[in-house]
Amino acid sequence: MADATMTLEMIQASQVGLKAVGAGLAVGMAGIGTGVAEMGIGSAAVGAVAEDKDIFGLALLFTVIPETIVIFGLVVALLLLF
Amino acid sequence: MLKPRQMSRLFIAASKDQMEPIIQELYRHNVFHIEDFVDQAKEEYAGFRIGMPLSGASEVSSELIKIRSLSAAYMVKPDDEGPETIRRTYEIRSLIEQDLPVIEKETEGLTAMRSRLENEEKDLEQKIAGLKHFENIPVDLDLLRGYESIVVFAGFIAHDVVPEVPHDRFYYPSKAGNFIVIAVPVEHRVTVEKALNEAMFQQVQIPEETGPASNAISSYQLQTISIKEQIEANKKKLAENREKYAGFLLACDELLTTDVSKAEAPLRFATTDQAFVAEGWVPVDEVEPLTRAVNDATGGKCYITEIPIDFEHDSVPVEYDNPSFVRPTQLIVDIYSRPKYSEIDPTLIVAFIFPLFFGLILGDVGYGLLLLVVSLLLRRYFKRGDGAQLVNILMIFAISTIIFGLLYSEFLGFKLLWHPLIFSRHMNIGGEGGEGAAIPGLLVMAIWIGIIQITLGRILGMINHARMDHGSHRVKAVFANLGWLLVMWGILVAIWSYFAIPYMPDLMKVPQIAAGLNIATITGILMVVIGVIFIARENILDVFELPTIISHVLSYARLVAVGLSSVAIAMVVNFIAIGMIIEPQLEHLSIVGIVIIIVGVLIFIVGHIGNAALGLIGGALQSLRLQYVEFFTKFYKGGGQKYNPFGIKRRFTEE
Repeated sequence: MADATMTLEMIQASQVGLKAVGAGLAVGMAGIGTGVAEMGIGSAAVGAVAEDKDIFGLALLFTVIPETIVIFGLVVALLLLF
Repeated sequence: MLKPRQMSRLFIAASKDQMEPIIQELYRHNVFHIEDFVDQAKEEYAGFRIGMPLSGASEVSSELIKIRSLSAAYMVKPDDEGPETIRRTYEIRSLIEQDLPVIEKETEGLTAMRSRLENEEKDLEQKIAGLKHFENIPVDLDLLRGYESIVVFAGFIAHDVVPEVPHDRFYYPSKAGNFIVIAVPVEHRVTVEKALNEAMFQQVQIPEETGPASNAISSYQLQTISIKEQIEANKKKLAENREKYAGFLLACDELLTTDVSKAEAPLRFATTDQAFVAEGWVPVDEVEPLTRAVNDATGGKCYITEIPIDFEHDSVPVEYDNPSFVRPTQLIVDIYSRPKYSEIDPTLIVAFIFPLFFGLILGDVGYGLLLLVVSLLLRRYFKRGDGAQLVNILMIFAISTIIFGLLYSEFLGFKLLWHPLIFSRHMNIGGEGGEGAAIPGLLVMAIWIGIIQITLGRILGMINHARMDHGSHRVKAVFANLGWLLVMWGILVAIWSYFAIPYMPDLMKVPQIAAGLNIATITGILMVVIGVIFIARENILDVFELPTIISHVLSYARLVAVGLSSVAIAMVVNFIAIGMIIEPQLEHLSIVGIVIIIVGVLIFIVGHIGNAALGLIGGALQSLRLQYVEFFTKFYKGGGQKYNPFGIKRRFTEE
């Protein structure tokens, strides 16, 4: 049986590691959320722009609204790491 | 700059017999944007009708259609051709009379021949394909048909079938399908058919040929070769003709297009039985020369005047008025929307910020040089139009990337000789130590850029509302924009009074007032409250949009995030190609080692080209988005009408 007790270094190392895991989860899952949200808006926007090119600006605006989510994820990740 | 070209509204009235000279002059000057007359029973236009085209319009139109169909047959497009020779219009007119019917006939003959030959080739190919099945049958083809007492089946089958009736058969199994030819007396037809169908028989027509199949095939193949030769000759002839006629066709097209638009101009004017009225827009500095020219052409028999612009109802056409180096960016603004006449034209600002952001994101001397080379190569293919402008934008991007590459001290992910002049983006990849990236500094820089650009956007928004709105709404709208600014800066001041953030003011030392609140905190809170009141006074629902202040500012973090990801890919490519593949082999050189080194070099090249492409797409899209979404939403409406003057720039013809 391996020794179950952990040294201080091991605890510190795993803290750093878990932080990194948390940061990765924050960005990754926020990214998935953004992707899911943009999926519908994006396809509708492309369809609308195909009908009328003049609304490109507005269509882009709608499409990128969910990007806020991934940015919040990024900020959380950076706060965790630094 | 920051303003579109100033326009005047021009009103031209004359008797109908002056219509033609006036149209000629307007067309020649190419500055008059016609405001189409729409029959809406307006009071001041009672009794006016839409005009009739000038005489000869339909003839010219049908000529033009002929020219266009010839151009299509030869695939001649004006953008592909340089104007080698400029022709005189009277020359072309006589040539159209003489040569056009000849060219038309010749071309018709050639294209008809082309389609006939192509059809023949297809026919022969089909025949050969049909004969191929019978190539292995050792019987002449004419022996397989024409019997009264015998039926012959030929076709593909899943497996061999041996009917229990008198028969004669050939069976050739092959991968493409097993082929069977079977001859039986007529009275056993049904039995054999049934047996064959059970083996999934697919009948094939027996070709109407004599002699062995292979003979027929080779004779058809000979014919195909001659047809192919004829097709080649036809193609060559068409190419020669294209060479010969391209310039002429383009000149004709230009001349006839000119004639058609002149002849159809009255359709856009208001006319009575005796007179006509044309209204339109002319840039202010062109009014004087145009007026003089029209007066000269009509001998003073027309009435021209400027009428005041009614900003409420008129939609003034918008023409950019920017220095030439900004021109490529007009395309970027046009994609979003052309500015309205009375609003600020943001092209000049975007022309600086857009490449700046791109450079901030990609920032690498190697990739910059790569993009520069690509843009120089593309320049040869895109000589005019939107394509050429995009190439110019790419070139500006490349230069900006090189400048930021020098500042970041990056070359294909490697460090240059000096320490980064601004924040380092060199990450610690492959565990080789190094200083690592200055991520907090980079992030704060990105946030500052966001704060500055958003503040600029809000200030422009205040100016726009002050210019374009009227009455109480104007004051409210201006103050609402001020309110957004106050909330943003209030939040910032409040944060600074609690946290010390690198490269940002530290307001923690400001004297305290009570309960942990210092002056800065209270100022910040006050700013937020006043700001919210200003916003709510214009539209209470906008208060729900308040979180966008934070998300928009933080959105600028993408400047760093996207950039770091491209640096990371570059460094990983370097590490894999050099650190893991090339260097270990260099230590003990061997034949296999050299092959592996070549593989490593390939990985290096492909990796960096791919990363440059990703960086170009990512960098351009992300910085474009920051302009469109974070910047333009603060002040820009767009939706202006494009200035489209009556006339064309002649390229292939002259008077």
